[in-house]
Amino acid sequence: MKFTRIAAIVEKETTEIVRDPITVVVALLMPLLMLFLFGYAISLDVDNVPIGVFDQDRSPDSRALVDRFIQSGYFQLAQDFTDNRDVEKGLQRGTVKLALVIPPKFQNTLARDGTAPVQVLVDGTYSATANLVAAYAAAIVSDFHSEASPSVHVDARVWYNPALRSVTFVIPGLFGVILMAFPPLLTALAITREKESGSIQQIFASPLTPAEFLTGKLVPYGLIAFVQIVMVIAVGFLWFDVPLRGSIGLLLLVGLVYVFCTVGIGLLVSTVTKSQLVAMLLALIVTLMPSFLFSGFLFPISTMPYVLQLYTRLFPVQYFVDFSRGVVLKGAGLPELWPSVLLLFAYTAIIFALAAWRFRKKVA
Amino acid sequence: MGTRLAGLLVKEMIQLLRDRVMLVLILWLYTIEVVICAYALSFEVNDMPLAVVDLDQTSASRALVESFLVTDAFAPAGYPASAPAATDWLQTGRARVALVIPERFQHDLARGDAPTVQVLLDGTNSNMAAQARGYALEIVNRFQAAPTTAAAAGGGVQPVVRVWYNSDQTYTSFVVLSMIALAAMMVGVIHPAASIVREKEAGTIEQLQVTPIGTAELFVAKTFPTLVIGLLSIFPSLLIVWWFGVPMRGSFLLFLALTAVFLVSAISLGVLIASVSRTLQQALLLSFFSLFPLMFLSGTLAPVESMPALLQTLSLGSPLRHYMDVILGVFLKGIGLSELWLQALALLAIGAPLFATAMLIFRRGKP
Amino acid sequence: MSGAGDNMIEAEGLARRFGHARAISAIDLRIARGEIFGLVGPDGAGKTTLLQLLAAILDPSEGNCRVLGFDTVRQASEVTSRIGYMAQGFTLYDHLTVAENLAFAGKVRAVPQAVYAARSERILAMAALTPFLHRREGTLSGGMRKKLALCTNLIHQPPLLLLDEPGLGVDPLSRRELWRMLEDFRHEGATIVFATSYMDEAEMCDHVAFLDHGSITAQGSPDELRARAQGAVFQVETDNPVAVENVLSEAPEMLGSQWRPTDVRFVVEPAKGLSNELRKQLEQLGRVEPATPSMEDVFVVLRKGVRTEVPTGIAEVARLAASKGHREPAESVETRRLTRRFGDFVAVDDVSFEVNPGEIFGLLGPNGAGKTTLIRMLCGLLPPSNGTARVVGIDIASQPRRLRQRIGYMSQRFSLYHDLTVHENLAFFASAYGIKRRPAREAIAWASAVTGLHGLADEAVSGLSGAVRQRLALACGILHRPAVLFLDEPTSGVDPQARSRFWRLVNTLAAAGTAVLVTTHYLEEAAYCHRLGLMYEGRLIAAGDLAALRAGLPQDGLETIEDVFLAYIERERTQAVRPIGEAR
Repeated sequence: MKFTRIAAIVEKETTEIVRDPITVVVALLMPLLMLFLFGYAISLDVDNVPIGVFDQDRSPDSRALVDRFIQSGYFQLAQDFTDNRDVEKGLQRGTVKLALVIPPKFQNTLARDGTAPVQVLVDGTYSATANLVAAYAAAIVSDFHSEASPSVHVDARVWYNPALRSVTFVIPGLFGVILMAFPPLLTALAITREKESGSIQQIFASPLTPAEFLTGKLVPYGLIAFVQIVMVIAVGFLWFDVPLRGSIGLLLLVGLVYVFCTVGIGLLVSTVTKSQLVAMLLALIVTLMPSFLFSGFLFPISTMPYVLQLYTRLFPVQYFVDFSRGVVLKGAGLPELWPSVLLLFAYTAIIFALAAWRFRKKVA
Repeated sequence: MGTRLAGLLVKEMIQLLRDRVMLVLILWLYTIEVVICAYALSFEVNDMPLAVVDLDQTSASRALVESFLVTDAFAPAGYPASAPAATDWLQTGRARVALVIPERFQHDLARGDAPTVQVLLDGTNSNMAAQARGYALEIVNRFQAAPTTAAAAGGGVQPVVRVWYNSDQTYTSFVVLSMIALAAMMVGVIHPAASIVREKEAGTIEQLQVTPIGTAELFVAKTFPTLVIGLLSIFPSLLIVWWFGVPMRGSFLLFLALTAVFLVSAISLGVLIASVSRTLQQALLLSFFSLFPLMFLSGTLAPVESMPALLQTLSLGSPLRHYMDVILGVFLKGIGLSELWLQALALLAIGAPLFATAMLIFRRGKP
Repeated sequence: MSGAGDNMIEAEGLARRFGHARAISAIDLRIARGEIFGLVGPDGAGKTTLLQLLAAILDPSEGNCRVLGFDTVRQASEVTSRIGYMAQGFTLYDHLTVAENLAFAGKVRAVPQAVYAARSERILAMAALTPFLHRREGTLSGGMRKKLALCTNLIHQPPLLLLDEPGLGVDPLSRRELWRMLEDFRHEGATIVFATSYMDEAEMCDHVAFLDHGSITAQGSPDELRARAQGAVFQVETDNPVAVENVLSEAPEMLGSQWRPTDVRFVVEPAKGLSNELRKQLEQLGRVEPATPSMEDVFVVLRKGVRTEVPTGIAEVARLAASKGHREPAESVETRRLTRRFGDFVAVDDVSFEVNPGEIFGLLGPNGAGKTTLIRMLCGLLPPSNGTARVVGIDIASQPRRLRQRIGYMSQRFSLYHDLTVHENLAFFASAYGIKRRPAREAIAWASAVTGLHGLADEAVSGLSGAVRQRLALACGILHRPAVLFLDEPTSGVDPQARSRFWRLVNTLAAAGTAVLVTTHYLEEAAYCHRLGLMYEGRLIAAGDLAALRAGLPQDGLETIEDVFLAYIERERTQAVRPIGEAR
């Protein structure tokens, strides 16, 4: 490995990147755009769910129950039904997501028997939140009028994210996802572009060794990726107010390893493809898709079928997502998180070994 | 006119059938992707690892623990000796929920002193934590209502919760349908964009321009096949719909018709992208980055109601959002045009100007 | 470089397969120090593969090869760190400037800073690139890019230089400069190996190897090789070339013929010679005399397996010409002060000329002279900024749709659909011209016959050689029997035999009354044109037939068209400098 030759590649690559404004814009703005989209648009919190009420009793008790719903903050009254058919229509059109049907003589029955049934109809088409909506509604209803005789108190405490804010949950995971979405793609394209234009032949027919060439490509793209991660972390903490409970140094340090890992995946992809189009599709399949779907970032891995759980282990995103959530939300350090860190190191090493082994200075 | 258009359409069809990468992509999006996601993605709380700290060790406390463990929601992760130990488990991720039953639980319960049970939740995944908390509350509620607790038969209001349209509340129906909608969107954008840009790259577009083929003919030839493909690809995914037991309650014809309207806006977007790109790579990057916000603002990933007001307003511009209403409505709710006319109108209102702009720019793009 | 001896390259039994396809087989090669060695062969002969094997960037399937004394498989890095290798096409970084590209090459090759400064200055001056130091590589003309690519390979003064078709797509002026650089370099003691399909480049070698179907069919100095065709090359001066062709096509000893405006040149099998019978037949049609063999003739002799087929479509073309009912206007193409600007840049400047029916008008000029822009305007692809043009009497600006019915256009990229078969391409273009099903079948049969595409109907275009693609592109352009045919560098990158065949086709079409406007880089092809137009920096600096062009110059002794062409450009350059100097 000769330093001057690596420096020459780095310099050349940097000049090319700087002269390609589209790439620079994509590299720097897209992560931020994604951060904002995720931060604002991906919220699985339940609030202001539009509900409809069909109150057939119209007694003080029934009105009190409706008030409970409104005051909970989860629901807002969108429609007052007067007919069972309206209830159905409202749910069908989607103007209400939940209908509360209070039977006639609700107050009387409650007073007489100490108990009374109430119907809660939930639109289950969007089941991600339907579950929650149903659970909240059930809790409100069963709490109603039962304060008199509670037999067990529940002290439910949510740790790390007491307000159960989605943003707090989404953003630390997003660090890992964004880094897997762009750097591999950019790196893979950077090498296949040279293959397509033929300039790689000049590289082959030169004293550059594969290690020098790959290192030269790695440094500028690694740098871009590192700038991305710093940027995303800064915006995440400063703009979205995500609490940072652990050590920022540790996060950045392991982040650096992860950066090399993602760029390494890009290098590996580029060694097995000849055209930019295929490189792009392959990068999408091995990086972007799994990082969204199979990283535990949004969708819990524990509920997937076993085979798919094994499949998710193939991708490094989840190790970093676990690590990042641990540091940021739980304030955990190496003593708790060393398995994820170790896996990440091993993964990176293997990726580089594979890329160096696959990359040969031959045209075919 | 007839001969030229027919010739163009035949050519486009042959090219599509020979384009392995595109065919595989379409097939992947409409089938394999749908299946993988249907199996893999779920927001349901299932087998959440639960750490149990039972400081009472009586029949009542064991009954409470049992009522947690019999549900699908929780699975035992182990029995740490103390509350601090349970905390450690949460910290390392060995457990996501901890249940702490105090000493003298049975004793207090019997005396009617209402003992306090602690449920500690790892809130890092806010959605799961919220659901788990809901479940925990429900379980404890049911526990006190049960006669085994020997407590006075608790009164109160009994909720009868019924979830409609998707009664078993599986996420599968939703995932399957939204993935099909996404596939239609992606194919609708990517296919026309790729087929136009490819001709630019190969220089054949110039060759077409020295023939008497008119822009309108070329435009139709570049858009119509995608519409056909988009509609035909629905059929293999119907198999998957059937496999996962997703009901088809509404009118299939209405569904096809509205899909066509939806595809028009997607295709127009593809043509627009192709008009401003010179290379396939640019076209793909652009489609990719324009699909992203459309997808986010559609309600496929997260409910629109939970977004800030500004984004909710913006989401009205995403054709995918209205199409999601259509596909969920027709399949799960079995509703017809009398309920969906607003969505149909919205799709038209988005599609028509997009289509007109695409046509205009396509025409201008010709030197 | 121990053990190199006097041979820079020694190869034995070299072979390379790609899958089942043999790219090259059983190559033995010895190239001595200080030689210029040419690898000549048709498309797909394996020239590139052989060069890549020599450059140690491809491993042979069989055999072994020592370059500079190092084994190309086991000591590949020793080879690649010493040699210079210039791949086909443009392989530099187009976003980097001239200086940056060269500096990158220097650093990769670890040229010391002080040495680099002196050497780069000299090389850039040699390539006349010094004024463009800070221009991006992608904005340079093809010729300049090639020169720069050569510079990046000279910066470390390699003892051996491997060049893959360095002259491809480069105008004659730049090609000359490129060769001057190589000559200088050779005087410094380097060895040069290059692949080419230009026969004039082959003449400049010390040694030539003919490569065909992956094997070397002949090797030797140009003189030795020419000797092989001695007595086998003849020309017939005639005014009835069609009849001569027909006679030749029947003759068993005939290997190939080339049809030029005033004579037919043909090559017979050297072993058989010209039979008396054939000579008698030909003498009835014109004057037969032996000709001095050129490298192109050698090429024809060596490829004797491939007989040049005579286009069978001549009869059909003639019939078509006779059946043409309506009268064409006197001029097929007529431009008046046609001008096209791109921003401040004037691509075509005040060009007026006309082309008559049945005439082949050749536009010559270096890269960037405005030839392609001119053709694109005449096809209605670009609106003119100023001036007017009429094609078959139709104004190009106001009636583009009508215009397109009457013209055929073939771009230098042979724009075809690679994923369709030959027939599908033809059928598509027939429908594109609005030809209904039954007439389309006839038109396709006719165009295939004219261009000799028999038996290829179901082949996918992606698998065809450049020469066949070229003919298919022509077939697609003539389906609707256009009155004017525009050909933009139709022979670029095609081997000499295919070029000759192509020109015969063009000639046939012109004979049937089609006007042809053609641009070309190959100056020797100017001989096929009836009239020529010389373009330089957007202007038409001279037009007329060869004799008229010669007469237009004061100097005598301008033998070849190349000399005439360069003389005009020289004159233009000296004239152009003066007014600018005065303005300052």
